[in-house]
Amino acid sequence: MPQFFSNKRLILLLVGVIVLVALIFFSLRDRDQANVPEQIVKDVVGFGQQLFSKPAHYITGLVDDVDSLLNTYEENQRLRARLVEYAAVQAELSDVRNENQRLKDIVGKEDDLRDYEPIQATVLARNPDQWEEKIVIDRGESHGIQKNMAVMTAHGLIGKVILTTPFTSTVQLLATQDPDYRVSALVTGETEAFGLIEGYDTERRELILRRIDSAFEIKEGQKVISSGLGGIFPKGLLIGEITEVTTDDFGLTKQAHIKPAADFSLLEHVIVAKRTSTAVDGSDAGNTGEAMDNTADGGEEGNGS
Amino acid sequence: MIRLLIPLVAVVLFYVEPVFGLFSPIEIGGELRFLIPRFLIMFLIFVGVYYSRQRALVYAIIFGLLYDLFHIDIIGLYAFLYPVVCLLAIWAVKHIHQHIIVVTVITLLLVAVLETALYGFFTLIGFIGMPFNEFIPTRLVPTMIANSVFLVLLGWVFKSLANRRSIQKRERML
Repeated sequence: MPQFFSNKRLILLLVGVIVLVALIFFSLRDRDQANVPEQIVKDVVGFGQQLFSKPAHYITGLVDDVDSLLNTYEENQRLRARLVEYAAVQAELSDVRNENQRLKDIVGKEDDLRDYEPIQATVLARNPDQWEEKIVIDRGESHGIQKNMAVMTAHGLIGKVILTTPFTSTVQLLATQDPDYRVSALVTGETEAFGLIEGYDTERRELILRRIDSAFEIKEGQKVISSGLGGIFPKGLLIGEITEVTTDDFGLTKQAHIKPAADFSLLEHVIVAKRTSTAVDGSDAGNTGEAMDNTADGGEEGNGS
Repeated sequence: MIRLLIPLVAVVLFYVEPVFGLFSPIEIGGELRFLIPRFLIMFLIFVGVYYSRQRALVYAIIFGLLYDLFHIDIIGLYAFLYPVVCLLAIWAVKHIHQHIIVVTVITLLLVAVLETALYGFFTLIGFIGMPFNEFIPTRLVPTMIANSVFLVLLGWVFKSLANRRSIQKRERML
C-alpha cells in the first residue's frame, strides 16, 4: 500500500490525527457553554432534523392511535369506574388547594419551590449511538430554557438540560452512567428523607438513590420526588418508587434502588420545567463563585457538597 | 442530477439515523438490545469503493464533524473514526475483490470494528462501565443484524448510485 506511506500523505495524516486528538481533549473538558460555531451547527442541523423527526412522530402517533382504538371499549369501562372516584378526588383537591392558598396568604409566603412553568418540547433526536443517554429537543434559549432545568414526561422526571443553543437543547437522561450527574431527591411518606440520585443500574434498569441518612426509616413502595433543594429543579416532580433498600459500601448511609416512573425509551414529547421561584445557579464551584454563596448544596451539579 | 444525489442521500441517511435511534433499545428475551443505525458510514464505504476515495473521505470528515457536534459533544471522535473506517474499507476491498457481496461483508465487519472502537473509547474515558461480554450480546450482535438487514436491502442501490456517478464522470472527462 504505497499510497499510504508517501511522505506528504503521512505528514498530513499525522497532523490530522493530532488536531483531532487535541479537539477531543478540548471538548472532553467540562464546558459550561457550547461555543458559537457549535451553536450554529446545532441549530442548523436541528432544524433539518425537525423535517425528519416530525413526520416520524406523526406516523408513530398514528400507529399508537390505531392501537388504542382497538381496546377502546375495555378502557372505557375501566375509566368509567374511575370517574366516580375522580369527581370526589377533584372536589377534595380544590378544597385542599384553596386551603393551601389561604394558609400561604396567612404566612405571607409567595414563592413556592413547587411552582413551575411548563415548556412543551418535542424530541428531535436521540443520540443514535446510544452510549450516552442524550436527547435533543426543539426548544432552546430563545424559549427560555436554561442549563440544568428539569425535563419530564407526563409520567415523571426523565433528566435535565445540559447544553443549550438558541433553538435546541440537549438533555441528559437520568439513566446515565455519568458519575457527575446528581439530582437532589426526597422520599415521601410520613417522615421525609433526603438523598441524591446518583448512578443507574443498567442490569436492573433502576436508579440508585444514595446518601440517605441511616436514621430515616424508608421502605419499599415509597415514592421518590425531586426535592427542589438543588437550586433549579422545582419540588415535587415524581421520579419513581423504591424497590429495594440497602446500606452503602461503607455502612454509613442508606441507599435505595428506584424504579423510574417515566419510560426512557420512545420519548416523543417532553416538558421542561421552568421554576418560577428564584433559581439558584447550581453550577460547580470553579465556574461561578457567587453561586457558592447562595447554594447550601449544589446537589444538581457535579461538585455538590 | 446524479451529481447531487450522493450528497443528498448522505444527508438523508444522516438525519434518518437518529429517527431510527428513537425506536431503540428494544426488549428481546428480557434484555434490552441496542440497535445502532450506522447507515451513513456504510453508504460512505460504498461511495469510496465504487466512486471516489477522495470524495468519500471528505464526506466522512464533514458528516463525522456534524455527528460529533450535534449528538456526541465530543468533537473529533466520529470525525476521526469515519474517515479511518472508510480508508480501511477501501484498502481491504482493493486487496480482495470489488464484488458486492465481498464489499457488503467487509462493510459489516468494519461496522463491528467501529462499534468496538467506540466501546473502547467510552470505556477509556469512563463514560460506561459495561463489561465486554455484555457488550457483545446487547449491542454488537443486534447492531450487526439490524445493519446487515439494511445493507442487504439497500446495498445494491448504493452500488448502482455510486457506479452511475463514476460512469457519468468518466464520460464527461472524455
